[in-house]
Amino acid sequence: MKKIIFLFFLFNSITYSQNPKEIVKKSVDILYGKKTFSVITMKIIKPTWSRTITMKAWSYEPDYSLVYITEPARDKGTVTLKRKNEVWNWLPNIQKTIKIPPSMMLASWMGSDFTNDDLVRQSSVVDDYEHKLISEEKFLDYDCYKIMLIPKSDAGIVWSKVILWISKKEYMQLKSEFYNEDGNLIRTMIGSKPKNFSGHLIPSYWEMIPNDKSGNKTSFEYNELDFNINITPEFFSIQNMSRVR
Amino acid sequence: MKYYISFAWRNIWRNKKRSILATSSIFFAVFLALIMRSLQFGQYDYMVNSTVSMYTGYLQLQAKGFWDNHSFDESFELTDTLYRKIKNHLEVTTLNPRIETAALISHATETRISPVIGIDPYSEDKMTGLKKRLSKGNYLTEESKGILIAEGLADRLNVDVGDSIVIFGQGYQGVIAAQVFQIEGIIKYPIPKMNNAFVYMTIKNAQELFNLSKRITSIPIMINNPSKLYELRNELSSKIDTNLVIMTWEEMSPEIVQAIAVDNASGFIMLLILYIVIGFGVFGTIVMMTLERTREFGLLIAFGMERDKIYLVTTIESIMISFFGALLGLIITFPILLYFYYHPIPVKGELADIYLSYGMEPIIPFSLDPSIFISQMLIVFIIGLLTSIYPISFIRKIKPVSALQGRGGMK
Repeated sequence: MKKIIFLFFLFNSITYSQNPKEIVKKSVDILYGKKTFSVITMKIIKPTWSRTITMKAWSYEPDYSLVYITEPARDKGTVTLKRKNEVWNWLPNIQKTIKIPPSMMLASWMGSDFTNDDLVRQSSVVDDYEHKLISEEKFLDYDCYKIMLIPKSDAGIVWSKVILWISKKEYMQLKSEFYNEDGNLIRTMIGSKPKNFSGHLIPSYWEMIPNDKSGNKTSFEYNELDFNINITPEFFSIQNMSRVR
Repeated sequence: MKYYISFAWRNIWRNKKRSILATSSIFFAVFLALIMRSLQFGQYDYMVNSTVSMYTGYLQLQAKGFWDNHSFDESFELTDTLYRKIKNHLEVTTLNPRIETAALISHATETRISPVIGIDPYSEDKMTGLKKRLSKGNYLTEESKGILIAEGLADRLNVDVGDSIVIFGQGYQGVIAAQVFQIEGIIKYPIPKMNNAFVYMTIKNAQELFNLSKRITSIPIMINNPSKLYELRNELSSKIDTNLVIMTWEEMSPEIVQAIAVDNASGFIMLLILYIVIGFGVFGTIVMMTLERTREFGLLIAFGMERDKIYLVTTIESIMISFFGALLGLIITFPILLYFYYHPIPVKGELADIYLSYGMEPIIPFSLDPSIFISQMLIVFIIGLLTSIYPISFIRKIKPVSALQGRGGMK
């Protein structure tokens, strides 16, 4: 889960800088609290139904994360583990571990608009893109930098460009747009309700809107987010999936 | 008119040998064309029938959008009323409700993605003959708790009858679907693509696993008479709710439609060549008949007979020659086709094994589709009309004096 979050918002530096790459880099350096714990409520909205999932997530950037489902009751105890570029699932009702094969990486994660691939994608918003400040504009009530990210050719990124809106004062990423190779808008991420989590002011509520499926939306909200936890990579073992609570 | 026909009739019999020759060349053309087309059409029907009965059905009832998305969002409840509405139609033979999805199949450290199909064991077997494909273990019953798995997939997972596998996927409205199933039987498909993927369980188990309660995703429908496909589709469509849709096999398997179109085109070219050759044969006969009667035409015109009437007689002659040939062809070929229609030619040896391995009977079937006969008749009639152009243009230009003096009628 942390990987998704990492991908979609860029935390910003206190240093005031007009260099877009500089902004992004410093924000990422700060985002690397490295070890985090969060409690998240995810809401999946489809044209005919919706579903709410709550989960606990631990992460050790950039290689490891573990998500434990707490609600709904039917799925409680299900664990998704990300280790480097592998995704594993623990299914409590049958007491089995399953590794997601590569062919399933583009399938939806937990029925949401995110894919398994979104969990593991390793691209770095600093090193894998060229950055360009295209304008400054107001988004909601915030004065924002509008930065365009073009992936470097060898980075293996599926988007043709990403556009970010980052607030000038707080350096919060409030909106991002993802375009495919044909230049069409595929996804929009919007962050709101800024909250202070252990000294980091970030939007606590996120919406992911896929542009090609009308009526679909996935939102998630941080109920808790702790940037300074004590955790080791050993925590993210396959054996630990069945033990974590 | 009666007179003209009897004139034409007598003219034909004036030179028996030539007329019989022309008639028999038409006869052979019709004979060959009918057998060829009947064979081709018979093969197409057979091919379509075997492919649609293997999976999609001639028609398939689904919720709108299911074909494109294949998601449980487009599942629907199969009520008794809906079932009866379709089942009670006289042309419908089998209704085969299914739940179709894909999920991860896992055993020990191996995991594969595969289509997972919830079936009614009885109707699935009736439509696809699934039971015959069982290579090991037992077929499913209504009460079975286990699964059938395709041979190739079982090999890859390294499992056998009696072993347990995990099915892990996404259920209705995003719930997690995960359950352990025991393998009851192994299914062997001749087509590698099918043999490497397919897991079957009862509809009841699938509904439980995917949290679908009473919902299903699709109903393949088999019908009596494939030529009434679209008629039937429209009739059934008018009886169902607007959120449901009926697709035809042509929409679901466009590759078969294309394969048939290509083969049909090559058959058509063969026929074209055949008829061009035969057409020139008939044309030659007509030219000879016209030229040897130059004097006669000159005389008739000199007596004051209108040229239009001579045109008519010669046209009737050439149509008669073609028509008799065609009729003869029809009369002789039809019983032969009828015999082979009910007694298809059996295929022997290695070729038979190939047929069998695809789950098809090793036979070469014939078709009695009326359109085959109608189109041959039509082509022959057109040949008759075209060849009559020559005598008409000849008579139009004929000069009676020259004709009567034996100078060819043109100078």
